[in-house]
Amino acid sequence: MFESLKSRLKEVRTRLGNDIGAAAESVDETGPFPEERVNPEAESGQQAGLVDKVKALVKDRELIIGEGDVKDAIDELEIVLLENDVAFPVTEEILDHLKKQLVGRRRKIGESVDSIVLSALKTSLKDVLGNGFDLISYIKTHEHPVKVLFTGVNGTGKTTTVAKVGHFLKKNGFSVVIGAGDTFRAGAIEQIDVHAERIGIKIIQHQQGADPSAVLFDAVQYAIAHKVDVVLADTAGRFHNRANLMNQLDKIRRVMKPDLIVYVDEAVAGNDAVVRADEFEKTVGADAVVLTKADMDPRGGAAISIAHTIGKPLMFLGTGQGYDDITPFSPDQVIGELFSEES
Amino acid sequence: MLDKLGNSLKDAMKKLAGRSVVDRAAVEDLVKDLQRALLQSDVNVKLVMNLSNAIKTRSLEEELPKGMAVREHVLRIVYQELVKLMGKGTDVTLGSQTILMAGLQGSGKTTTTAKLARYFQRKGLRVGVICGDTFRPGAYEQLSTLCAKINIPCIGNPKETDALKIVREGLPALSHVEVIIIDTQGRHALENDLIKEIIDINAIAKATHRWLVIDAALGQQASEQARRFHEAISIDGVIITKMDGTAKGGGALSAVSETQSGIVFIGSGETIDDLERFDPDGFISRLLGMGDLKALVEKAEESIASSDFDVNAMMRGKFTLRDMYKQLESLNKMGPLKQIMSMLPMGNMQLPEGVLDVTTVKMSRYRIIMDSMTGAELDDPALLSSSRVQRIAHGAGASPEEVRELLKYYKTMKRALKGVRGGGGKFDLQRMMKRFSG
Repeated sequence: MFESLKSRLKEVRTRLGNDIGAAAESVDETGPFPEERVNPEAESGQQAGLVDKVKALVKDRELIIGEGDVKDAIDELEIVLLENDVAFPVTEEILDHLKKQLVGRRRKIGESVDSIVLSALKTSLKDVLGNGFDLISYIKTHEHPVKVLFTGVNGTGKTTTVAKVGHFLKKNGFSVVIGAGDTFRAGAIEQIDVHAERIGIKIIQHQQGADPSAVLFDAVQYAIAHKVDVVLADTAGRFHNRANLMNQLDKIRRVMKPDLIVYVDEAVAGNDAVVRADEFEKTVGADAVVLTKADMDPRGGAAISIAHTIGKPLMFLGTGQGYDDITPFSPDQVIGELFSEES
Repeated sequence: MLDKLGNSLKDAMKKLAGRSVVDRAAVEDLVKDLQRALLQSDVNVKLVMNLSNAIKTRSLEEELPKGMAVREHVLRIVYQELVKLMGKGTDVTLGSQTILMAGLQGSGKTTTTAKLARYFQRKGLRVGVICGDTFRPGAYEQLSTLCAKINIPCIGNPKETDALKIVREGLPALSHVEVIIIDTQGRHALENDLIKEIIDINAIAKATHRWLVIDAALGQQASEQARRFHEAISIDGVIITKMDGTAKGGGALSAVSETQSGIVFIGSGETIDDLERFDPDGFISRLLGMGDLKALVEKAEESIASSDFDVNAMMRGKFTLRDMYKQLESLNKMGPLKQIMSMLPMGNMQLPEGVLDVTTVKMSRYRIIMDSMTGAELDDPALLSSSRVQRIAHGAGASPEEVRELLKYYKTMKRALKGVRGGGGKFDLQRMMKRFSG
């Protein structure tokens, strides 16, 4: 994951560095009159004033990075981010961040351009990615049973994720029960049933067409009676623009009172990821996000978009078809990976 | 569905219509707006760039056809280029054929398989389905439950792990049917052994069509995935699913351009009838608010005798309770009102929120209430005095409030339809311009 984004980011970084470097050189050539290069319109407002620029250059041997110096590279970065599935508004935000950090910044002549660009990019991304979510320590610090409700649109992999998370928790020494709350889709109960049997987890189920709230309520009751640590509640996929289905979800929330609502989406989704994440957040809320199918997409732009929009931490990445193919998410690691030097 | 892309496209066009002179700057503005709209809809970045360059050069360099204003000329170019982006229309033959379904995990292959079976069944063909998904638990149960509802044979074995074997044995078992649809397990481009499996299935099945199922929400990743599938089994059609969400299906366009094929069907709902044929012309006119009368008429013909449902009367704005009754009656056959409304040429008219969201349950209540009305009342709702409302409520076992609610609903519908009028031709620029600028 993130392979292509990584290599493209590197290009842009070099480009940005070069542009700023070039700006510095041209300033050096024109001597104490750098204003010739300065765009008069950009002069006003947040831009450093002309006087400041000259003063900085002459007195402190510092350069001020102007908007024009980075414009081309920023435009390029925009395309790079879009091509890598970072949603439009999120792209704009990242660029804004970056511009704000770079433009007007003083740079000592001789200070490495690359390090400035790098740290600016890193902070921009970090702001957007947010913090990860550590499920294990959450469970440890909260009263049992911890009730986790999984939501999301159709076909993002909720059922598979429930199975994987169940397996993950079991491996970490927790007892788990699954509530088969997808009573709508044909074959969904059979699907989770087989999963539960394979990973050796108790499952509470009714037949197809039953009220999901009732199933999940039963699952919670079972957990209380048998002192189970965690309840994982699967639900049917639903579109955020279907009022009655969203109301159903709201009812589920009222009935089972989940401690955590986990929103599941796929890493290959495009711009719509932002719209629906937003809607789910509005109607039922979300405490954490799981991104599935991350192995399909070496880019991972959707991860960045969703994490940003929903403003909630990413908890897991789904990375394959096996029960072990789930990775706890840590933003530092991702950023580190993005900017690690290629071997 | 598609509201947002449609709206931004319409806005862009409106802006152009409002300009006093259409010059280079105007065209560049338009192109920029289009780019934004398309990128937000997940259309591949390169495709968008190609499209906008084509529009720009053609608008500025092509000779003006005689008798056409510059503005209309530009609009026509935009329309044509957008249609081109959609790929060519694909024909669906109504005869013996084998269809192989391919796609990513969770894109909706199994649901679409059942919908397709239903589609061909409605066209009067004998259909059979093979469940080639041996990996996902519950896949066979899902498909067989869906097929049982529509009485279509479904071959499969949840205990068998070899998909090739199921297909090999399933084909002779279905020798009596005309259309065989093979559902397969979800897979993606980087899973080499699964790609190999589908190549083998394709070889065994000798499929007439290999259709790629694409989730409308799929982003820039679509081209890459489509390319691999195309290399493996040469895809000859794309089906977009989940168009009932807010996703705009731009990813599918990347898949279309990658596979040099066209979009065959669009899935837009959870019931088995929510599958529409795709026609690029109609799609774009609908997107630009010009309506898709061809699809509407086709749909109407398929489900209702023409005397039942007078589209033309509806278009003229004549809409009585009787019409509404017929509409409700054929609701199940013809699909949701929302779908039908989207086929009408409405320009930039906005329907009041909520009108179309009346649930099916309510619809059937309304029908019952209308059953208690007299013929005269159905033709002229103005007759309905409070004592008549009382009588109807008694007759239908409803409350007077419900009857009034029905009347209110009727009035909103009528008002909405009044705005529809006109727009007979598929590409009536003059009228469209008026609507855009009005």
